[in-house]
Amino acid sequence: MKRPIAGAVAAHNYVESALTDDLDILIALEASQARPQSSLVMLGPLLTYLKSKGYSEFQREAILIEGWAVQFIPVASDLDAEALTKAEPVDLEINPAEGSIKTRVLRPEYIVATALRVNRAKDRNRIIQFLDDEAVDIDVLCDVLDRHGLGDAWRAFCRRTGIANPCEVKSTS
Amino acid sequence: MKQPETVYPDISDILKAKAERRRDIARRSFGEKIAMMEALRERVAPFKRLREQRRAAKRASASDNAP
Repeated sequence: MKRPIAGAVAAHNYVESALTDDLDILIALEASQARPQSSLVMLGPLLTYLKSKGYSEFQREAILIEGWAVQFIPVASDLDAEALTKAEPVDLEINPAEGSIKTRVLRPEYIVATALRVNRAKDRNRIIQFLDDEAVDIDVLCDVLDRHGLGDAWRAFCRRTGIANPCEVKSTS
Repeated sequence: MKQPETVYPDISDILKAKAERRRDIARRSFGEKIAMMEALRERVAPFKRLREQRRAAKRASASDNAP
């Protein structure tokens, strides 16, 4: 089952990201679990499983796992669902002694699209970082933005930050 | 036939808790924030190594394709 890393730690896979102490994990819930209810109820089966493994300490709504404050974030939009499906498999070498672990991380284009949708100051900074570091595939990004109805928000972001809209530059070149 | 619309859960309480965590972090002392950064640096080192490997491969590919 795909449970990719999202948020600031996922951004670290591509750019130098902001200060954080939590690890976001995007998860898909069964339709029966997705009805309106508190997140603790929604995540109940997962939290029960983690408790059986000895992880039951919480920091607000994050659960402490091996020193990380892990926040499970249910898929809450078509963009999230697609981001989860397209998450990139990675082999993370912890250190030479411990070897590697296989995990999945959201692709950069979905991190940028999600940042644009949330659109706080730190999200706009994150988008600029991804563009400056050429850490996104512009064609893929423009397609994702277009298909998820984020084209207007993207044009507004480009105007506000004074950058040439890479989607328009691409289409006119 | 029209596909039924997907029902997504309301995650506003999770997002609210995350915002509160961020405010908690912002209220920490400078020393605590430095300690947090040090701990974070260690934890995300595997991601940084991957990122640098990817960039090195991209640079190598660009120089191979240079005229």
